Amino acid sequence: MTQGDTTGVQSHKQTGPAKLANRHLLGIEGMSPLEIRSLLDRGHMFADNPHDGVSDALHGKTIINLFYENSTRTRVSFELAAKRLGGSVLNISVAGSSVKKGETLLDTATTLNAMHPDILVVRHNCSGAALLLSQHIDASVINAGDGRHEHPTQALLDALTIRRRIGRIEGLKIAICGDIANSRVARSNIHLLGTLGAELRLVCPVTLLPANIGNMGVSVFTDFESGIEGCDIVMMLRLQTERMAGTETPSQREYFNLFGLDSGKLMRAAPKALVMHPGPMNRGVEIDSATADDVEKSLIRTQVEMGVAARMACLEALVTRLA
Amino acid sequence: MTATRLFNAHIIDPSQSLNGIGYLDVVDGVVNAIGLDTPSKSGKFEQLIDCQKSCLSPGIVDMRVQPADPGAEHLESLSTLLAAAAGGGITALACLPDTRPVIDEASAIDSLCLRASRIGGPRLHAYGAATKGLDGHEMAELGLMAEAGAVGFTNCATSINDSLIMRRLLAYSNMLDKPFIQHCEDHALTKDAEMNEGETSTRLGLLGSPSEAEVIIIDRDLHLLRRTEARYHVAHISTRAGIEAVRQAKAEGLAVTADTAPPYFLLNELAVSTYNTAFKLSPPLRSEDDRQAVIEGLADGTIDAIASDHMPVDRDAKMQPFGPAQPGASGLDTLLALSLTLVHQGHISMARMIEALSLAPASILDIRGGTLSPGCSADFILFRPDSGWIVKSANFISNSRITPFELHPVQGIVDATYVDGTAIFLRD
Repeated sequence: MTQGDTTGVQSHKQTGPAKLANRHLLGIEGMSPLEIRSLLDRGHMFADNPHDGVSDALHGKTIINLFYENSTRTRVSFELAAKRLGGSVLNISVAGSSVKKGETLLDTATTLNAMHPDILVVRHNCSGAALLLSQHIDASVINAGDGRHEHPTQALLDALTIRRRIGRIEGLKIAICGDIANSRVARSNIHLLGTLGAELRLVCPVTLLPANIGNMGVSVFTDFESGIEGCDIVMMLRLQTERMAGTETPSQREYFNLFGLDSGKLMRAAPKALVMHPGPMNRGVEIDSATADDVEKSLIRTQVEMGVAARMACLEALVTRLA
Repeated sequence: MTATRLFNAHIIDPSQSLNGIGYLDVVDGVVNAIGLDTPSKSGKFEQLIDCQKSCLSPGIVDMRVQPADPGAEHLESLSTLLAAAAGGGITALACLPDTRPVIDEASAIDSLCLRASRIGGPRLHAYGAATKGLDGHEMAELGLMAEAGAVGFTNCATSINDSLIMRRLLAYSNMLDKPFIQHCEDHALTKDAEMNEGETSTRLGLLGSPSEAEVIIIDRDLHLLRRTEARYHVAHISTRAGIEAVRQAKAEGLAVTADTAPPYFLLNELAVSTYNTAFKLSPPLRSEDDRQAVIEGLADGTIDAIASDHMPVDRDAKMQPFGPAQPGASGLDTLLALSLTLVHQGHISMARMIEALSLAPASILDIRGGTLSPGCSADFILFRPDSGWIVKSANFISNSRITPFELHPVQGIVDATYVDGTAIFLRD
């Protein structure tokens, strides 16, 4: 178990499934600290007992993964999470589906609805797509990433990763660095880590900074080294070249020079600073390989592992709510 | 000769500074007499109508209506468009040329006006497309369209971004004595934009359109206007900076006018928070500060007119995630009631509202309407400004039923609409 380091971890007395106020998991914004903590506590338990059949909450349940954007880790992670809880999983990727034939999102929703799934996991390139689907389908909807809006399970797994390594989130200095404008991961993390009391800094070129983001309880830096100064966590984001118009940064070379993370720049962070990245990484663009692969400092592999546990907690919470 | 007297009416006609209980005499479709005093008993009237203190004002002149016909009749035919306008108290409307085919030549103007006259109802006027196919590059046959009756020229929902073409269009329109109507948007700055830029767009993960995109074009056009004599009109103005630019230009004496539409003085960008595509409009709903500026602009006359900005949109084009959804909404059925909100809230007087809905657009376009002076066409409406109702698009006369005001409580009901003294709409 690479994530076996549980020094300083808070006790997690909760035994039952996490409790959620809503039928869907569409975003972190608006979730209470209590809901978030209960998901993290449950995720923690699943991470401790990954194969033990702790719960068969999804037995007899159908989960559909509907992915309009390519994904390996998120889709596989949801699939594994559902299977470990005893559910049956159906994967629909857009390539080769009726969507390619011009079917609209809502027609697809209606079609899938007729198959009576219990949970629909959806990723779409448009912000708000998961909410739109949730308004037209009986199943619980989990947002696995909608455009530039939110990616709530990524934020949950990031928080779970931090909590298992450091034991807390409150009071940590966390820098989120890179392509903030195009990142749903950044938005979900800002909501979640802020709600749990972390001190948040955003570090990015001014051309990748969305309007008025300072109102979201973060401080903003456009100088990388002063931005990560003294931070406990340096969270790097992928440069979303597929969402960019081509004028945000002059070149990848310049980007790496000014905003890429290497071991030299990392010296400016706190002495035991840890590095995170939601993947997939652009090595040599936002992060150099030596830093990404440094087992002492990089939590990147743990993040992937925690993805399954965090998603187990989400799936279980939603089916429990349905029952 | 047919003569009608409407008495015991609350007459509101800003062109004659009339505002009080009075009467209107119509003879053969023309205003014969109007006044606040007790009418003389003399004269024979075929019809005597007791208005029971309902408001009687010049009919609404809606200067921004996009027909779907020709080209997308399934969304709205010319008949339902005209019927909805009549039901909304509109006695004259000016149609945008973004149809299929585009109205960019004289025969298309002819055809639209001829078809409307066969249907009857409100007076239909047409703008000519400023450029061929609305491509923004090649000037359309403005002169021939002017001869066919075009009341002005516009490139519809796109700005003329090329300054040289814009300069020539201004000069050429002025040579024809027609106003140029500009939708002001720097399209390079708003590329891929999905809503107004600000904290809300950031939270929603939608790409923002900065409000400066409007004033950049207004400022450029005003510079051209200082060199080129012309009549320049800013359509659906929506930002504080844009309004301030128009205010200063008017003080400077430039021939600038502007209109806005109800969404821009009643709603702001927060309405987008649920990704409801009925709130996707062009220009986008702006900040609360911009909304306040629109109200101030209407109150002090910087913004001359209120238009419906009616735009039929396919329901399928709205049943989409917010980004790819088409902008636009219906406006004819709700124009008067929504405008009255400003009166009920005390922002503008009833007379100012009628001026913005009627006199101002008629004089900008130099068309009949906007006044009930003796000798003018009897184009007027009767309405009860205090009667409340709930906006339900299912009840619209218009076949275009997407509105950002669904279930919005409003006050103000049109009871009758008259063109040339003949009722084109009577509420049951």
